[in-house]
Amino acid sequence: MTFLKSLSLAALVALSACSTLPQEDADVVFALGPRDGFTSPLNGALKPVCPALEFTGTRYALTGAHQKTLLGVAEAWKEGKPRYLIAGYAPPELPEDFARSLSERRAQAVRQHLIENGIEAAQLQTVGFGHDSPPSSPTSSVVVIYRQ
Amino acid sequence: MTCTRLLLIVFTVWLTQPVAQALDLPAWLRLPKLPQSSSKEPVKLPSKSVRVGDFTGGTGTSARRSLLAELTDSREFTLTDSGADFLVTGSSTGGRVMAKLERADGKVLFERTYAAPGLDENLRALSDDIIFSATGKPGQATSRIVFVSNKSGTKQVYVCDSHGRDVQQVTHHTHGAVSPTLSPDGSAIAYTSYRSGFPVVQVLDLGLGWERTVTDTPGSSFGAAFAPDGQRLALVMSFIGNPEIFVTDLASNTAACISDTVGAPSSPSWHPDGKQIIFADDRGQGPRLYIAEVPATNNAEARLYLWRTGYSFCTDPEFSPDGKQVAFVARQSDGAAIVVKDYPSGKSSVVQTGGAQHPSWSPNGRYLCYTQHGALYVHDLHTGLRNAILGGYSTISEPRWMR
Repeated sequence: MTFLKSLSLAALVALSACSTLPQEDADVVFALGPRDGFTSPLNGALKPVCPALEFTGTRYALTGAHQKTLLGVAEAWKEGKPRYLIAGYAPPELPEDFARSLSERRAQAVRQHLIENGIEAAQLQTVGFGHDSPPSSPTSSVVVIYRQ
Repeated sequence: MTCTRLLLIVFTVWLTQPVAQALDLPAWLRLPKLPQSSSKEPVKLPSKSVRVGDFTGGTGTSARRSLLAELTDSREFTLTDSGADFLVTGSSTGGRVMAKLERADGKVLFERTYAAPGLDENLRALSDDIIFSATGKPGQATSRIVFVSNKSGTKQVYVCDSHGRDVQQVTHHTHGAVSPTLSPDGSAIAYTSYRSGFPVVQVLDLGLGWERTVTDTPGSSFGAAFAPDGQRLALVMSFIGNPEIFVTDLASNTAACISDTVGAPSSPSWHPDGKQIIFADDRGQGPRLYIAEVPATNNAEARLYLWRTGYSFCTDPEFSPDGKQVAFVARQSDGAAIVVKDYPSGKSSVVQTGGAQHPSWSPNGRYLCYTQHGALYVHDLHTGLRNAILGGYSTISEPRWMR
């Protein structure tokens, strides 16, 4: 009897855990909206909204430090709801085409995280410059969020 | 002490022995046998021979001399004065060239007139026609290499011939232009332009001079590669929220996604059959090479799979013109190296180490061009010799040979 009780308790615990399983929503990728009206950092001096997010090697996953910074960006966005351009850059030692793809991928990872923290997808654009143009930050393996 | 002296005497006696006896050493003292043949195969002479006959007319003598130089340079023929497989004769007046190619049995393969403004230009075209008619392989005297240089301060697209001569700047954009590729017939260049401040793929028709934008999608678009039919482009676009490889039809302006990745795909390159595309993709373990099949119709199923190379950090793959090999860049201890590997499987060999980047095949599949320390090289895969064909252009990157 005790065994049956413990079994049912275990089943109950297991079932209740089901509701806390990770949601499918986290995998939704948000397509980019129209780029009309966005200004490129190549065409004029734009102001970064936070310190440049530095990446190491060929990683494009966000670290805890990145997420902490982005949480602050998402909070600050709620006042005024400005538009942000997320620009990725890569160091010159990487092959050119791979650098463009990697920098774009990093920018998309930042965009995804900002959307998950409440910023409207239409207000965010990404661009990956690879190492075709240097960033305003001292290091080159970065993602910079520019206010439009 | 006596023992050491005795040992010394024995050693001296052994040293003064004739060589024949010195070879009879115990097994544990013998040197390992050296391989009888070197790993490099001897260079074979071309199997076909050509005789360049008389060229009449005012510029006939110089035309004949230049044609001999072009044909020697192509390394496709042995040039002889008698008993050749093919005979070239003709005439040249004022730079125009009329030429006839005959087979040994007397059959005329072609008889053509070349009336471009320059004598050299005409002879390069004639040389390529002779090579194509006699061997079935495209010549490369008229082929072009497209590359990026930051000589003018920004990255711009340039084009030169296979010897690094006749360099022309193609783009003059304020923020630069990168990632160029030539169409199979050499009449158009597709490249990524930063004209608007954002990367956009454009196609420039070299003959007519018009330019059109292929993708003005949000995000980035780059890495365009012409399909063998010249009507489609494979490229990377990221408007769907992640960079993916797309195939876009230039006639209908439609695009289809052929990769399915959450990573960072780059550098698509077409198989000559036009049905497969190889590209580099970083799914978290550094870039590796993947093959995607291009579906024939909308609903057709297509496979996408990892192509194992045995090397790490593989980027910039390109199929050889016959589709039997792939050249790519891999990372080694002393920097980037160019590797050629048989496709779909087989042996691989390192062609050049020490920071060589971005290989691209010549139209006949005999040479590879690549950059190393900012200079442009052409590497002969038969002899292993290489030539710096272009220097002094600041940093040269992303060369691509006409296919």
